[in-house]
Amino acid sequence: MSKHGTSALGNLEEAEKASWNKERIANLLVRNSMVFVLLIVIGYFSSKNDGFLTLPNLRTILIASAPFALITLGQTVVILTGGIDLSVGSVIALATMTSAKFVVTHPDQFWAAIALGIFVGLLAGIINGVVIAYLNVTPFVTTLGMLTIASGLAYAIGNGAPINGLPERWGTIANSKFLGFQSPVFVMITGFVVIGIVMSRSAFGLRIYAVGGNRVAAEVAGVNPRRILIYVYAISGTLAGLSGVILSSRVISGPPNLGSGYELSAIAAVVIGGASLMGGRGTIWGSFLGLLLIQTLNNGLDILIIPAYWQSVISGVLIIAAVTVDMWATKRSTR
Amino acid sequence: MAGSGTALQVEGVQKSFGGVPVLNSISFDVPSGHVTALAGENGAGKSTLMKIISGQIKADSGVIRLFGETLEQGDPIVSRRAGVSIVPQELSPYPDLSIYENLFVGREIRNKLGFLNHAKMQERARQMLENFGLELNPKIKMNRLSVAVTQLVEITKATSWGAKILLLDEPTSAIPDREVDQLYKVVRTLREQNVAMIYTTHRMVEIQEIADSVVVLRDGNLALNVPISEADEARIVRSMVGRDLEKLESAKLAANAPKRIAVRNLQIGKKSTPVSFDIAAGEILGLGGLIGAGRTEIAEAIFGIRSAQSGSILVEGVEIDIRTPSASIKAGLAFVPEDRKGAGLVLTRSVVDNVSLPHIGDFSKGGWVNSRSRNSAATKVVESVNLRSRGLSQLTGTLSGGNQQKIVLARWLTHEVKLLILDEPTRGVDVGARGEIYSIIRKLAEDGMSVLLISSDMPELIGMSNRVLVIRGGAVVGEMSRSELDQENAQIKIFQYASGQVTEGINV
Repeated sequence: MSKHGTSALGNLEEAEKASWNKERIANLLVRNSMVFVLLIVIGYFSSKNDGFLTLPNLRTILIASAPFALITLGQTVVILTGGIDLSVGSVIALATMTSAKFVVTHPDQFWAAIALGIFVGLLAGIINGVVIAYLNVTPFVTTLGMLTIASGLAYAIGNGAPINGLPERWGTIANSKFLGFQSPVFVMITGFVVIGIVMSRSAFGLRIYAVGGNRVAAEVAGVNPRRILIYVYAISGTLAGLSGVILSSRVISGPPNLGSGYELSAIAAVVIGGASLMGGRGTIWGSFLGLLLIQTLNNGLDILIIPAYWQSVISGVLIIAAVTVDMWATKRSTR
Repeated sequence: MAGSGTALQVEGVQKSFGGVPVLNSISFDVPSGHVTALAGENGAGKSTLMKIISGQIKADSGVIRLFGETLEQGDPIVSRRAGVSIVPQELSPYPDLSIYENLFVGREIRNKLGFLNHAKMQERARQMLENFGLELNPKIKMNRLSVAVTQLVEITKATSWGAKILLLDEPTSAIPDREVDQLYKVVRTLREQNVAMIYTTHRMVEIQEIADSVVVLRDGNLALNVPISEADEARIVRSMVGRDLEKLESAKLAANAPKRIAVRNLQIGKKSTPVSFDIAAGEILGLGGLIGAGRTEIAEAIFGIRSAQSGSILVEGVEIDIRTPSASIKAGLAFVPEDRKGAGLVLTRSVVDNVSLPHIGDFSKGGWVNSRSRNSAATKVVESVNLRSRGLSQLTGTLSGGNQQKIVLARWLTHEVKLLILDEPTRGVDVGARGEIYSIIRKLAEDGMSVLLISSDMPELIGMSNRVLVIRGGAVVGEMSRSELDQENAQIKIFQYASGQVTEGINV
């Protein structure tokens, strides 16, 4: 009888242990769901096509991700404060056109032209930030306004036409290679590493999370939420400006519609990466995975010769699915 | 009592979340026309039980019987059809719709053409409100009502669906004391109409006032189930905490304690009377008064959250900048706000992040956080407040109310605090954690910190303070020394000052 009792107890303990392990594994899966989804997607495409999981193709995916990298970073920082920056696409265009116009008229002022493009982005970002922080206009409306303004200005600079005849040197910004990778790939990786560390290890990063998580509480704790908001929109704008310079270098011209619609790709990457549009929750690493996932999917579907319009449908489903999984996971982890 | 048989039977209800038992074979009955107070500390299982009865979740085992019929659990619609209505703690009215529209959402009265019959709904709404003695124009928008009135409208709505069993989840947690009477009236009306009610609350006064019987849960177990005649305050509290409630004892203040904080002619609004007072080192100065008397505004102005018209704050004789909270923090001020979730914590961040936020600059070098110094400082202070968490990295959103409040308090203690401002520090905090918070405050004062304590809880205000200032209409209208607070009529006297029955000029 006593022997029976002991074994029953043993079973109970084992069962508890097993269920605990199961729970832990489930939590692990949930917390790193994006990594697993990415691995599944990679696994699927490589089983369908031998050309997918090759170094040249992985390089192609990285190169395709690069143009969106900087604005995805900026967008993540903005979304972490509970805001949104819809203007990044047309700020890219505005920076492109400003730099292009300047470098065409002053071909010897190469570095000044680069600085000018970045500065235009910074300025647009600061204006967004000031209007949002001090005039209390919602981020959606403010940056929607800036989207229209910047786009209009971009066309005005070229009188409605693209700017051509940029010096050849302009092309070296984005087309020079190191270790077989074009410079934008290095810019992307550097950007994610630097801002990733800033967000997780600096006082500034914590303040951004605090303002997004609870603005009133952050203020009581001595954070100046207005200053933080101006900073994040300035960062987003500056990165969009730099993006514009790099993108115009790739095509060695100044098309006034460059970057159009990019803001939505950036927002999609951030959301798929697990950030909450309410602010306070999300990581740079998550956004990086989100960006890679979108590009991997596009690349894989290209290889399988799926038409672009179906790719668009699949991406849309993915966005909604990612957010659904994330809501479920959050509910689970905070229960 | 108008009882006519048992309305609700809870039989052996058991529930666990993730292997942790929350309810252990709970059984009790509630007859029709009977109010059962459901008491227990935060996390005792009250909300879970309410959710099971109202069909939001399913018990692991056990039966709920409504008028003898077994309830099919886990479906709110089934529960509602069976006559159960719940008025949750956090109300969710449609703020931009009118009262009558709120009352009729989901069962609108239509005319022959299928359009809404506004006149008829307004008329019916008026009758429904009058039934509870509420003279309200049903056309008023919901967002213009106070929380208390909103709650009464929600109760009206819940019962007008024909509820026979009404669950009220901490109905007084968010409403001022002077409006509680109207709630009592409504509850009594419903009792006469033979509705069975379960009423959760932390407040003993309410239980004595309104309940016919008391059920106490402790750690998921049924600790007490007796008629109100057999349940005095001490017995209820003992059942809740499993021990006798420690008697409040104010910190001793040395007679020659130096004045440390001076508030001079602080004028909040354009027309308000300037206030001036001093706080000695180690003194707990209580601010008494009715809700809306302007106490929170004074605290917020001192800390720099609210800009004052004029006036100055001197710390150890030196005037400080009070335009922003960050300047106040640098000057050694600390503030524990009334609204813990709204203004205290960043719930999406960890314990260590919340604890280090006010002084994050001091835990950083060149902008980079030094996690070693931050963790050791955080560990020290969370231990000093006896925080119960799974570790520094636990999200604060997953902690209980009492533990959250400990963090809001503890985060100031990483650095020297000269003036600690506490606005309702134990509101919504369970009895056990409340006692711990009192000991912490007392200890801090004994170590020399000046404390400004705003409290609407009379025993807390009288028991903790070395001195009390009573505020009315933003002005100081009375002062009571420790010896006056020790007298039996202290509570009455504070109330008289607060309600304007006595006025005394105060000169600092």
